[in-house]
Amino acid sequence: MYLALDADEREIADAAADFLANEFPLQRLHASARDPERLAAFAELGWLGLAAPEAAGGSALGVVEEMLFFAALGYQCGPLAVFTQVLAAAAAQENIELCAGLCAGQVGSALLVTPPNGDAPVRLVGDAAAPYAVAVDAAGATLYALQGEYLHEQPCLDQSVGMYTGPAQCLQLVQHSAGEGAWRRAQVAVSAMSMGIAERALAMIVEYARERETFGRKIGAYQAVRHPCADMAVRNEAARSQLYYAATALHEGHADAAMQVDAAQLLAARAARMNTDANIQLHGGIGVTDEHDAHLLLKRANLLERLLGAGRSLRASLLAPEAGEEAH
Amino acid sequence: MDLVFSEADLDFRARARSWLRDNIPATARPAHGAAAAQFDRDWQRRLYEHGWAGVNWPQEFGGLGLPEVQQVIWYEECARAGAPNYINTTYVALMHAGPTLIACGTEAQKAFHLPRILSGESLWCQGFSEPNAGSDLASLKTSAVVDGDHLVVNGSKTWTTDGQHADFQELLIRTEPGSQRHRGLTWVICDMTTPGISMTPIRTMLGDEHVNTTFYDDVRIPLANVVGEMGSGWKTAMSTLSFERGTGFIGDQLALYERVNQAIELARRTRLEDGSLAIEDSAIASRLALIKADTLAIRAMTFAQISELQRSGNPGPKGSVMKLLVTGTSKALSHLVAEILGWEFMAFNGDRAEHPWTYEYLWSWVYTIAGGTSEIQREIIADQLLELPRAR
Ligand SMILES: Cc1cc2nc3c(=O)[nH]c(=O)nc-3n(C[C@H](O)[C@H](O)[C@H](O)COP(=O)(O)OP(=O)(O)OC[C@H]3O[C@@H](n4cnc5c(N)ncnc54)[C@H](O)[C@@H]3O)c2cc1C
Repeated sequence: MYLALDADEREIADAAADFLANEFPLQRLHASARDPERLAAFAELGWLGLAAPEAAGGSALGVVEEMLFFAALGYQCGPLAVFTQVLAAAAAQENIELCAGLCAGQVGSALLVTPPNGDAPVRLVGDAAAPYAVAVDAAGATLYALQGEYLHEQPCLDQSVGMYTGPAQCLQLVQHSAGEGAWRRAQVAVSAMSMGIAERALAMIVEYARERETFGRKIGAYQAVRHPCADMAVRNEAARSQLYYAATALHEGHADAAMQVDAAQLLAARAARMNTDANIQLHGGIGVTDEHDAHLLLKRANLLERLLGAGRSLRASLLAPEAGEEAH
Repeated sequence: MDLVFSEADLDFRARARSWLRDNIPATARPAHGAAAAQFDRDWQRRLYEHGWAGVNWPQEFGGLGLPEVQQVIWYEECARAGAPNYINTTYVALMHAGPTLIACGTEAQKAFHLPRILSGESLWCQGFSEPNAGSDLASLKTSAVVDGDHLVVNGSKTWTTDGQHADFQELLIRTEPGSQRHRGLTWVICDMTTPGISMTPIRTMLGDEHVNTTFYDDVRIPLANVVGEMGSGWKTAMSTLSFERGTGFIGDQLALYERVNQAIELARRTRLEDGSLAIEDSAIASRLALIKADTLAIRAMTFAQISELQRSGNPGPKGSVMKLLVTGTSKALSHLVAEILGWEFMAFNGDRAEHPWTYEYLWSWVYTIAGGTSEIQREIIADQLLELPRAR
């Protein structure tokens, strides 16, 4: 039983953080409306295939390493396409050649957030020109060929991603990978990105609270500022510990892993939602400006909270009778 | 990271589980008074005699010398078995007086007190707070002068939990006349049978009298009872508080986990006034799910904390994070169950066993005030974890 990062895990977390801080710093999102995905930059260092099979050029590491990477990605609001691509590769895992192409970033993918359901329109986020689209739920991951010309763009609150709706006919089934593995990995990755955002929000306000002065004092000396910061830290500690536990339980195949992951997702979403809110408020006027980074975190937190459907579905496992039994 | 318990851990868990199954007291703990204290002593004596006391205490002082993780396993098994809650009259002795003596006491103090603490022979109470020194503990005024090889104490302490049952007290006093704040304080072992000590109970909103005001009138305490150095009592006291805030509530965190599962059961079978099942109410379900998630996180944080302890030897300011999360979640749970129970919640005779949910509801403010208020915990996090500019 050891629930803190070991030396190898720390190395991966640090390497991911350094790479993202250098290549994809949060501030980049001010430069252009749409975030260039630059999948190749991630593929080159193997980030797209962390948990993919070696036959597809992946590193065959586990969900824990993947979680550490996505936490670092969240901290910089890194390209969402990276998450999509990892899921697409999971959907294509029985087609090694296609899986390898996805891991290498040679072919791109978009994420179906409203998957096909009869004649109802579908909704995607990502690159409409990508050749593939991926959908994931608890039953499995499905890869479709995408014909983007039928899609309509809808301006998105998170301006760094494209958001599109269109008829289900723009999709053609390519590959399905059954089982809940991809869904749980997606939950862990989304939770990790949310946690990264929540941690960035705290780091941002702590830095500002040490510098900004009003009435001749640093604002960080006012309890009306300090105490919400302390509460942000509490939410982060809860989210991080639970996410570490859940990812490890999933990796080790515990019977209660699904419940642990659901809990992690709820707590990471709460931390991201509430910390990005407090971060803006405690910055004062500068916090609502476009040139500030704070709104980027808020908007990404909203995107992530919706990405895998409403949090409502997370309740079932947590409220099941005797849900705690397996924890021991 | 790994969640794999070692063979030794699993073996310990199995033995603890089976022993607890066969040895849980057949009768419930009396609600109040001397009978409750006697019940606590008897249970602790039983644990001691069967080799379950002081799981993580050093062997040389009568403990089992086992790793921290097995201490956590012990509390998990106690909570699961419904064993007597260890936050009782033995709490101060076991959870902070003992660890403080292990860290700062003389050989003679350790040899005399530690076995008595483990066996339930000595109960302790804490004499830190005063009527005008709570959050701002360093403003305390109860003082002592040296007379030969004794200290002579005058003044008063308050909020002395279970003081009426205690044999000894952790007493923090000012021993340098005219000294200010943290300087000139001394932490001393006070024998509660010493002449000159008197106590009046304070009735709380729970309807009980488990806290007291303690008065000291020329109370003579041997200098040999000083723990740490004369005048360095603040240092010893911080060590006491780090145990209280750090690992002192582990058993309680795990008991909260069991309470949440009971609340889920309750919501599954309780009908609201409109006849619908509580669990089917969307607002109740979403609050309950979040509370459950928080208790899972508390358990994960407990393991993260002992892993960190293993690595660095210090629980650090994370103890304050834990206290805020545990007491906040406990309060949220109490308030939610109060809603679910409707009029049933209003039935209350002060007995914890009979009306546990109403009792826990009232107790939830004790949690967020005693042992350092939530506001003070946020101050500690802001200062020590976030390193924000000081407010004070
Ligand atoms: C049931 C119970 C049992 C207890 N048992 C014991 C015991 O056995 N032994 C013992 O020594 N003590 C005990 N205590 C005392 C406890 O530690 C104190 O009550 C606590 O530290 C708060 O001190 P206070 O009551 O003087 O409140 P105050 O310090 O007067 O605080 C009043 C309010 O002001 C807030 N406040 C104070 N300072 C600040 C600040 N700097 N910033 C922001 N807010 C602030 C507090 O959070 C609180 O809300 C017990 C208390 C209770 C209620």
